[in-house]
Amino acid sequence: MAMSRLSFRPRPLDIHKKLPILKSAREFEDDDPTAAAVAVARAGVLLRQSAPELTAATTATEGEGNPTPTKKNIQEIPTPQFDAVGTYERDYTRTFAQPTCYIRGRGARAEIGEFVEYDLDNEDEDWLEDFNNERKNLNPEKLEVLLFKLEILDHKARERAGAITPTFIGPVPVLLQLDAAMEALQFLSVRYGVFQAVYSYWKDKRERWQKPILRRLQPPPPVNDTNPYNVFRPREKAHRLHTRRMQRRENNIQSFEKLRMVRRNLDQAKALMDALVKREETKREAMECEVNLQRIQMKYKHEAQLVDEGTALSGFQQVSSRFGSSEDDYADSDDTTTEQPYIRPPVFRPRFADHKLSVIPTLRIKRERELKRRPQQNGWVFKRDPEEPVLLFTRPLDPEKLVAAGIKPPPDPPIENGATMPPFRCRGRIGRGGRIIFDRWNPLLQTPIGQETSYYAVARGQWRGVSGAWAVARGRHQHGNTLAVAAAAA
Amino acid sequence: MGSMEASTAPENGTAAAAAAGASTACNGAAASNGGGVERRLRSSAASASWASHLPLEVGTRVMCRWRDQKLHPVKVIERRKSSTSSSPADYEYYVHYTEFNRRLDEWVKLEQLDLETVETDVDEKVEDKATSLKMTRHQKRKIDETHVEQGHEELDAASLREHEEFTKVKNIAKIELGRYEIDTWYFSPFPPEYNDSPKLFFCEFCLNFMKRKEQLQRHMKKCDLKHPPGDEIYRSGTLSMFEVDGKKNKVYGQNLCYLAKLFLDHKTLYYDVDLFLFYVLCECDDRGCHMVGYFSKEKHSEESYNLACILTLPPYQRKGYGKFLIAFSYELSKKEGKVGTPERPLSDLGLLSYRGYWTRVLLEILKKHKSNISIKELSDMTAIKADDILSTLQSLDLIQYRKGQHVICADPKVLDRHLKAAGRGGLEVDVSKLIWTPYKEQG
Repeated sequence: MAMSRLSFRPRPLDIHKKLPILKSAREFEDDDPTAAAVAVARAGVLLRQSAPELTAATTATEGEGNPTPTKKNIQEIPTPQFDAVGTYERDYTRTFAQPTCYIRGRGARAEIGEFVEYDLDNEDEDWLEDFNNERKNLNPEKLEVLLFKLEILDHKARERAGAITPTFIGPVPVLLQLDAAMEALQFLSVRYGVFQAVYSYWKDKRERWQKPILRRLQPPPPVNDTNPYNVFRPREKAHRLHTRRMQRRENNIQSFEKLRMVRRNLDQAKALMDALVKREETKREAMECEVNLQRIQMKYKHEAQLVDEGTALSGFQQVSSRFGSSEDDYADSDDTTTEQPYIRPPVFRPRFADHKLSVIPTLRIKRERELKRRPQQNGWVFKRDPEEPVLLFTRPLDPEKLVAAGIKPPPDPPIENGATMPPFRCRGRIGRGGRIIFDRWNPLLQTPIGQETSYYAVARGQWRGVSGAWAVARGRHQHGNTLAVAAAAA
Repeated sequence: MGSMEASTAPENGTAAAAAAGASTACNGAAASNGGGVERRLRSSAASASWASHLPLEVGTRVMCRWRDQKLHPVKVIERRKSSTSSSPADYEYYVHYTEFNRRLDEWVKLEQLDLETVETDVDEKVEDKATSLKMTRHQKRKIDETHVEQGHEELDAASLREHEEFTKVKNIAKIELGRYEIDTWYFSPFPPEYNDSPKLFFCEFCLNFMKRKEQLQRHMKKCDLKHPPGDEIYRSGTLSMFEVDGKKNKVYGQNLCYLAKLFLDHKTLYYDVDLFLFYVLCECDDRGCHMVGYFSKEKHSEESYNLACILTLPPYQRKGYGKFLIAFSYELSKKEGKVGTPERPLSDLGLLSYRGYWTRVLLEILKKHKSNISIKELSDMTAIKADDILSTLQSLDLIQYRKGQHVICADPKVLDRHLKAAGRGGLEVDVSKLIWTPYKEQG
């Protein structure tokens, strides 16, 4: 024999060592005919042995198979019987449209929406049939929803009471009471009698089962439970090295769920913010349109009137606002005949809608009666047009209230040499957010208040965001124009 | 005496209560069958007298009419009163066809049994030729029959016995899943309230199971799921693969395990599905993505298992899906950069499929490879564990030890012969269509 002794006791194979690949069986034979022959023979035997194995397996037919049983020496792998279900085409609808991109999972249905996880079982169906008793007291879908919600509410009640155990250690109690359930589920509009019956049935079933009837809420068996019929024990967490980072950061189901919730909330907040931004932008646009409209109208109207009238009018009508405003406004606007006790600066007394700004108001100009008494700077008067819009943030101040609050308008600065008037005057109004603002600068005409040279300028008295205005502090000594002071000096 | 009554009410103290009844029944039967002592049965000479010997005892051997309408020898494993009648003649018997695999065990009615063939022979002493031991005929038969059960070699005797006790009787005989009504193979530990139901109806997409068809139809009206609840990671033609995380979709994972156990003998549902990923293979059409098979995988395996359980649903077997699943599991391993191996014990069908896969993959490489190659290199190329490569090559006798070193025989004729015997490859995995990153544990 050409075989060396080493052939009988091969060294263990080193998987890292490169092995030569012999492409010809004859190479075996040249060197060691016996071994080669054995190898070939064995290969043949192997083939013979495996063939019937495979044949038995492959001759078992498809479909409603009738596998031919073979003798026990040869391993037989039977094919199971199966039949087509007659109602399949009807029960499963052709409503699936496969998206072009790969589908992303969206997490368990239980967490996302209002899917009713509970399905009626035989007991429930039988009970319902009895309960309905030929009539239609309750339909199955409603019963399903009720039982589902009862389970969820009871689970929450047990959570609040700290009665949730991570594994099954004993009977699971029912904590949900009938009235609490009724209250929580009144949106389902179930008649009291029906609800009570369902609640009793559910409670009774729970007491018989000694565990929740919704499988997801049933606690799993404890790890040391050896009963082979109990399944899905929680696996003990693998002990990981406790680094400081791990100790601080709890990474478990709860934190993941929290993060999910946070993400969802943020998405919602973002959507809300986007909508808000859009709304405010639209409002601003609308506002700008209004402003432009007013300007044009004013310009057109008063320039025309300037031509028409030469003398002061003796009787203005106060035109009430066309929109809802505060009681103050209404009181004032009704008061068309009595003299206003206070003297107002020579401006309009505009009206505007409530501060909520949820509606773009149709603004009205309200005529200022006192204007007729005021020494006109420019010797003109005007007639109010009830259709004219009123500007925002130009609500007039109520001198009585000012006095009552102890607020004095800022005084006019001293008259400089060579001038006939103080360099500016202060005109009060109620600005944004209800702030009291005394303007000293007219931004439209780019002149100090009191120095306007055209009616137009006066008419366009004030508005929001006027530079140079300031809020008045209490107790500051002021003196405005003579009329204002007279009123404020109380 | 072991006897299992068909339960009518879903008693649910703890599962243990119902189970205790079942296990004592099993233990009772075991006591009578274990130790090789067979029961002596009465003579059937007086044909009328056998009527008085009903119901049959567990352990009885008799001929039974099988679905092929022929008589086959069976052994009675369990019995129960038929729920519709109370007369002693109306029992149902759970029988094991001694010629066949355990999968074919089933409940039969009395009329299927040929009572004249109830065994009466004397338990005489014979000599077992293989071992030259003297034993009774019944003892010998018991030993012979044990060898019929393949696929259990890797379980030790104690676990095997335990396993058989626990799974002795199928609880659910048929299921309806989507398009098909399927006979089951094995016991599956459904919650006790389902044990009284011979048939279960599964929702094809969320895999919830129900006891009556109407319940399923009602469920279908509200169930909007049209595919497994996970990420689609592969799509080629109508074939799609979905990855489902057991932690994120616990109920689905559990449902899938209950379902799969009906067709897998050694699957264990002992632990929860949290630590597993499920790869569900589907055929898609305008009704949705229909599961044809799946395999499960541990998120972290210490033994480098790249597959825990694998199943092709019965209506879809022998079409190449199983081989696809195996190939897919190795493609995932390649992407992870790790070698992998299937979890043991492998089922009989599983081992066959894996041997086929390993043979095809390795021999194709050997055919083309020019120079020397190490087992490690083969492992790196294929993600197949070195042990599996070695065992495959050795079983095909392609590794020789000559002149002080190991060599690989790669004669094309020899290789082709083996390849032919290994069978065709299944559906191919197009790696370019796999869009997937390996699972990463958070934290």
